[in-house]
Amino acid sequence: MDFAQFRRPQRYIGNEWNVIKKSHKGRIPVCIGYPDLYELGMSNLGLRIIYSILNEESDIVCERVFMPFDDLSQYLKENDQRLFSLESKTPLNQFQVLGFNFNAELNYTNFLHILELGGIPRYSHQRKDVIVLGGGVVNPEPIADFIDIFVLGEFEAISNDLIKILRSTSSRQARIEAFSQTPGFYIPQLYSNNLENNSYLFKPLNEKAPKSIKRVFVKDLDNSYYPTNWLTPHTAIIQDRVPVEIARGCPNLCTFCQARKQYYPYRQRKPQKVKEIIKKIYKSSGYENFSLLSLSASDYSYMQELLDGVLDYFREQRIGLSLPSLRIDDLLGPLQERLQRLKSSSLTVAVEAAQDKLRKDIQKNIDIKQLFEAAKVLHSFNFKQIKLYFMYGFPNETNEDIIAIADMLKELLGKSNLKISASVNVFMPKPISIWESQSLEDEKILEEKRALLLNSLPRSKRLDVSLPSTKSTILETLLARGDRTVGKVIENAYRKGALFCGDNERFKWAPWKNAIEEEGSAYQKILKTQTSNFAWSFIDK
Amino acid sequence: MIYFSQLDLIHILERALRRTDLPIYFTQGYNPHVKISFRSGLKLGVTGKIEVVLYFSEKVDRERAIQKLKEHLPMGLNILKGSQMSLKEINKLRRQAK
Repeated sequence: MDFAQFRRPQRYIGNEWNVIKKSHKGRIPVCIGYPDLYELGMSNLGLRIIYSILNEESDIVCERVFMPFDDLSQYLKENDQRLFSLESKTPLNQFQVLGFNFNAELNYTNFLHILELGGIPRYSHQRKDVIVLGGGVVNPEPIADFIDIFVLGEFEAISNDLIKILRSTSSRQARIEAFSQTPGFYIPQLYSNNLENNSYLFKPLNEKAPKSIKRVFVKDLDNSYYPTNWLTPHTAIIQDRVPVEIARGCPNLCTFCQARKQYYPYRQRKPQKVKEIIKKIYKSSGYENFSLLSLSASDYSYMQELLDGVLDYFREQRIGLSLPSLRIDDLLGPLQERLQRLKSSSLTVAVEAAQDKLRKDIQKNIDIKQLFEAAKVLHSFNFKQIKLYFMYGFPNETNEDIIAIADMLKELLGKSNLKISASVNVFMPKPISIWESQSLEDEKILEEKRALLLNSLPRSKRLDVSLPSTKSTILETLLARGDRTVGKVIENAYRKGALFCGDNERFKWAPWKNAIEEEGSAYQKILKTQTSNFAWSFIDK
Repeated sequence: MIYFSQLDLIHILERALRRTDLPIYFTQGYNPHVKISFRSGLKLGVTGKIEVVLYFSEKVDRERAIQKLKEHLPMGLNILKGSQMSLKEINKLRRQAK
């Protein structure tokens, strides 16, 4: 195949620096996939961790597949060819195990597309040899019909069990049985989970299926695996820097946040370990930009020590460093002098709600007065821009809260001459967040609030606001909170051509609207939380 | 096989240089980067030769530099020939080109 005929051919070559190529002979062939384009998938840390852990084993060969762009999809269909892994160009239906990392619900139809292009039967019950694993999901139920085995929780915590089971037998059935008896794995086909009398009834379908299903977590982050032989693309990717994870989980209690419970509890990596990882990755990749990754960098107890230990190295080697989740007080406090030495990057502040009272309601504890204080000293940092995150559609929110977002942006534009980029999202009651039993705000009200915000925003060349459509928020909430009936909607919408739904430019509501109607989905019930428990309630908290 | 744009090539060369322990010359200022200049451009998807000038902060052994860099270049990207110039000579060539 001549890849030069496709847009951005590097997406499909699989010749990155540090790529691992092994012969399949005598090895268990595994292919891990990400249901979005190469540039997005290669920016995902989880996928890299899994790739490296599995390839450490000499009897396993782990390769990658991403969602192909339209041109390659069309080519494969027209020429009746199968989608292939990047490393050895092996068709997907020749692997024993396929594993998908889902971190965005809106990509579920892309996943069905990858299966179809790879020649993999869509439904679990249709498969004879291949096993399809799914990870990264909080609520597995909407895609339960398409996945043989879910990994619930963090991969590093189950990787040894996974490898052991794959080695023990090559039979699909025997492997599935072994997984069903191992904590952290969930086999949906062994259970029914239907809505009866307004409540979800989770029932094992045979005696051997365990009654309780658990999420598993890494206990010791310092000694957990971190990939250092860094796979370095030859073309730009979305997050074109090396993320070095300094902590996992979050000690804060923001009511809307799903991630704090998805990665639990709060664990920190020692600065010495972080430093070692940074040096190893730089030596292996030559990457010119790094970022210190965590849900909330400001809560990292060893930040001063870490920065003191690495800033000179970054300066000598001319490596850029960004700290994407800092709080404003760090800019004014003891870290100020250290942060001023960073190569230019952007300041990110998750404000969420512009007025104090609402911010208190959602347990987001930041002092906004400091943001304006900080605006005055921002010129002493090398920041290129300020990025702000807001949300609307919260319970008990008023129109004043919406206008306050616009006012805050106005005031900031006046106090600083940096570019401001604001990302405004709608509050969605995501599974296992503190507010999981809240409802998604009515569509009509969301539309009114959206219009109010758009009309109040200041006009400035320095301001860039991103605001997803209300319909895509409704869909994301449905896919996040859905039960097994939502799987039918996903499949139907896919047949109607719904692809790349996470891309604002490409998102279309029509196929979803028709799919919901045709499948008779009780989707309002799911959005409005009118059930006494949830489709995901069977997973131990 | 490798496909890249001119912009990709800058990153590929920069990262390859950074992986070696050669004394790379960085530009000054807030946003220092590896200095690389091209005598001509290449089209995506077309095989060809390109002349690249790499800058070092001190004198390096020509053979050693070529060898080191070759070890860190991806498959499909090769060094055909390398010659060494002082900054004076480069600037002289530049003036002549104008």
